[in-house]
Amino acid sequence: MRTAAMAHQSKEPVTVPETTPTGTAAAAPAMSPRRRRRLGDATFSGIATTILVALLAVLCEIGPRAGWWGEEVLPSTSSIVASAADLLGQPQFWGDAARTSLEIGLSIVFGSVLGLLLGLVFWKLPTVGRIFEPYLVSFYAVPMVLFYPLAIVVVGINASSVVILATIMATIPVALNTTVGLNGIRPVYLKLARSLQCSPRQLLTSIALPAAAPFIVAGLRLGVVYALIGSIAMEFVTAQAGLGYRIRYLYEIFDNQTMFAYIFVVLVVSMILTALLVAVEKLLVKGRTQ
Amino acid sequence: MSEINLENVEVAFDTPAGTVVAVSGVTQRVPAQGFVSLVGPSGCGKSTLLSVIAGLTKATGGQVQVGGKVVNGPDRGIGVVFQEDSTLPWRTVLDNVRFALQVAGVDKEGQLERARWAIELVGLKGFADAYPSMLSGGMRQRVALARTLALEPGVVLMDEPFAALDQQTRIFLGAEVRSIWQRSAQTVLFVTHDISEAILLSEQVWVMSYRPGQIIDVIDVDLPAERDPSIVSSHAFNELHNRIWTSLQEESMRGFRQQEGAA
Repeated sequence: MRTAAMAHQSKEPVTVPETTPTGTAAAAPAMSPRRRRRLGDATFSGIATTILVALLAVLCEIGPRAGWWGEEVLPSTSSIVASAADLLGQPQFWGDAARTSLEIGLSIVFGSVLGLLLGLVFWKLPTVGRIFEPYLVSFYAVPMVLFYPLAIVVVGINASSVVILATIMATIPVALNTTVGLNGIRPVYLKLARSLQCSPRQLLTSIALPAAAPFIVAGLRLGVVYALIGSIAMEFVTAQAGLGYRIRYLYEIFDNQTMFAYIFVVLVVSMILTALLVAVEKLLVKGRTQ
Repeated sequence: MSEINLENVEVAFDTPAGTVVAVSGVTQRVPAQGFVSLVGPSGCGKSTLLSVIAGLTKATGGQVQVGGKVVNGPDRGIGVVFQEDSTLPWRTVLDNVRFALQVAGVDKEGQLERARWAIELVGLKGFADAYPSMLSGGMRQRVALARTLALEPGVVLMDEPFAALDQQTRIFLGAEVRSIWQRSAQTVLFVTHDISEAILLSEQVWVMSYRPGQIIDVIDVDLPAERDPSIVSSHAFNELHNRIWTSLQEESMRGFRQQEGAA
């Protein structure tokens, strides 16, 4: 199932119920070499990514120049970067970027909050969870773009309709992952909370949320990605402004050069967002098994 | 001081297969500052009885009093050390121990002071800033113990705290639990299925029968207060061991046959 697959992405065995603690003395010394290798992994993937991106850039530079493909198919790297730099001086670009950023930002915030709340409700009220969770799961498969006409009828052709649909898309993975994470809390933590007489608030903030954090963070990562995809895709379909809208517009008037510059900018933005997410994730689940 | 009084305690569960009586008619007393071990075959209701005393499970009959007060729910004066690893992996050792004090509303200075004291007490000095994932299973149980002791409860209930550890570690930790108890004014009830552990640690051993769990034998451990593991080869130890083993053997066989019959 989708939720299970996402859960595994977190690479965190912490929430997996483990009745018997693992080997005593073996755990401590085994730690340091593994940690060193992991650090090596990070450096390695960093270097590998840089080399890959550089190779791709070189290939795209040589391609049109050597006549492997035409400039109109994919312009050379240097010209894309140049026109992207050009864009940075245009007020229209900043207008589009501001609108798209606002849409993505709002969808991330609303999606995360709504998803967390839904996850908490599904956890606290298992009956509600059992009724509604299957719908949420199947909602995954529904192309949200189809609801665009409905959103337009309800709120009109503006940023709100984009935000609404992107929020729905972002909410689902956050809600499902939060539910999985909370339902997977090791029973002994709840027993501990009871024996220490934690208040409901302490139970939530000091036990439940941190215990489910690896799953919640994985859900938030997906939520952010869905908010990004949702916003750009909705703009692409029907909108009067925004980066997605601009890309479609440029494509319709055959301005490939500028279109690729916009695509390049969107790619860079999503890469930065992903890198930020990884940093946030590391911060949130620091000190755990690794 | 906190003595534990059990009066005709009964716990029954409703299961799809019918009502299961886990604990039946237990009337016993752990004297203040006493150390009693509870042994019994697996599935006999030892943990259930402990859970009732801790206020985590409701008795369906009878009454539990701790320090003269009827137990109606969890109480910070009753500390519990669980069998499973209960350290919180997102908190350092210090913060794990502090957690109990935070919840209890101790001010920050007091939290740090008492947490450091408890960490030193269980021999984890120098590991205060480590995360549980960096520690062995035995050390994590020490953290759990420190967290319980930091609240300085009058009663400490231990539910097979060393069951998942290797033999050497559990003998070593057991000796430490005993020495901590000797230096404190605490009343300890220790659940285990290990007869040697029960004799080594306690002043009295209760033997529990298979379902419905009843205390079928109470054995006073007349061994010197200072015990080192070499005592296991003494005559007195072996006699105690034999006596407990004899009562336990029948019950274990009965439980085994019942479980096989049910399967």
